[in-house]
Amino acid sequence: MNTILSHTESVCPECLARIPAARVMYDGGDVYLEKDCPDHGHFKTIIWRGLPAFTSWVKPKIPTYPKNPFTEVKRGCPYDCGLCAEHKQQSCCVLLEVTQRCDLHCPVCFADAANNPPPDLTHEEINAWYERLLLAGGPFNIQLSGGEPCVRNDLPEIIKIGRSHGFNFFQLNTNGLRIARDFEYLSALKEAGLSTVFLQFDGTHDEIFKTIRGRELLEKKMAVIENCGKLNIGVVLVPTLVPNVNTDNIGDILRLALANMPTVRGVHFQPVSYFGRYPETPTDDMRITIPEVIQSIESQTGGLIQSGTLCPPGGENALCSFHGNYVLMADGALKPLTRHKEDSCCCQPIPAAEGASRSREFVAAHWSSPAPLAELPVIGAPSFGEWDVFLERKRTHTFCVSGMAFQDAWTLDLDRLRECYIHTASPDGRLVPFCAYNLTDKYGRSLYRNTMLQVEGQKLQVGD
Amino acid sequence: MSEYFDPAKYEGWVCADCNIPLQLSKVDVSYLGNSFPVDLLKCPNCGLVLIPEELALGKMAEVEKALEDK
Repeated sequence: MNTILSHTESVCPECLARIPAARVMYDGGDVYLEKDCPDHGHFKTIIWRGLPAFTSWVKPKIPTYPKNPFTEVKRGCPYDCGLCAEHKQQSCCVLLEVTQRCDLHCPVCFADAANNPPPDLTHEEINAWYERLLLAGGPFNIQLSGGEPCVRNDLPEIIKIGRSHGFNFFQLNTNGLRIARDFEYLSALKEAGLSTVFLQFDGTHDEIFKTIRGRELLEKKMAVIENCGKLNIGVVLVPTLVPNVNTDNIGDILRLALANMPTVRGVHFQPVSYFGRYPETPTDDMRITIPEVIQSIESQTGGLIQSGTLCPPGGENALCSFHGNYVLMADGALKPLTRHKEDSCCCQPIPAAEGASRSREFVAAHWSSPAPLAELPVIGAPSFGEWDVFLERKRTHTFCVSGMAFQDAWTLDLDRLRECYIHTASPDGRLVPFCAYNLTDKYGRSLYRNTMLQVEGQKLQVGD
Repeated sequence: MSEYFDPAKYEGWVCADCNIPLQLSKVDVSYLGNSFPVDLLKCPNCGLVLIPEELALGKMAEVEKALEDK
């Protein structure tokens, strides 16, 4: 027995044509995205397995449209990204892909960092990017991305240019190779105004790195944490979760993170998605969904982190992510700051822009390193018993656990895409939702990224 | 741990129901799933607890804000 829960739209994984889709629940509560392409047939892909229930995972929002849309609505979502006037959310953070070069050729890479990369963008082009972002309603939080951004020696200068325009949060999305060995370079980044390091970190042993990244990297990752600790730079560990590779390592990753607080500020899980570069057409057993990650967090931490403390997001579409925030006490206990209210009907919709704004501020406050204790203002009021200890710890030992399920050609749900608030600045100055920017069909052909790089010379025809 | 108030300031407070002087006692204060012991003035008979205004508007408000943060 299956039940159609709701309707949406998606794309055909073969040709990227927009097609109707439905969210269908089967016995046991698993939910699939099902769709039919007139030319390429039926597609059915798992999007939700188990508890918390799909129907409980909601956070209604009132759409907030872009202040200054850069593209016209011509062919409709997802073909007019830039943002267009029909996008239901404003930007929270913007990825600047400052290079397409990379010093680590991974078997899995959503950016599909190229072997023959185009030239890096010049300072003039990057300056123009920042100006465009201000025009779009910025400043936003900036993610320096790529490729591997640390292959650029002038990355500190790129941060300084952004600072001069009033941008004040800079997150470095990195594999960590360079900053593990080049302390001087990391110091220059800090000096320029780097806020946090978003460190690709797939597991606590090298077999995992060898499988996902092709080489042993744990020692280098730990060196990054050590170096960032010396410079008081916050680190967020970012594991790509791949079934049968590291999904049994979730608890160990969290324990390693906790043991390295307060330098490590949190863990941000990314269930593997199939766009960019990946080995084969994915089957459902090659996917891990948000509720499975949540359940694994609870079971693999022995209940240290309870599933009920992980919540749907306030900024992006509820189905895109989860988050929970905690205070690590001196005795190792984690005190939750968040709780998932399943009776969400009592929850009033909030304007989407307010969610984006709160997320922007939260990330800036909690993914950065806390100020050294001596610089923190002393809580002046009289004592409130052990709550005082809690408040003090909250200022230095807040731990963030989150995860984001990126969409690919099989799972793309245009309702979700329209609410996306993580946008990539394209070289031609548009702002493209992350999952649209990276979307590729099953042959690796892209809708937005590297549109010049067509597989075997085939011309991609999409939409209409 | 220092007290949240000057006990002398509240000398002579009695429980209106039991007519017994309040005593400084450990009280578990819970909010949104977290609970910590705090020394507060409490009736030894019925358990009524006095929350002084400076506590309600000060640290308690701060705790609420901390726990409701996103």
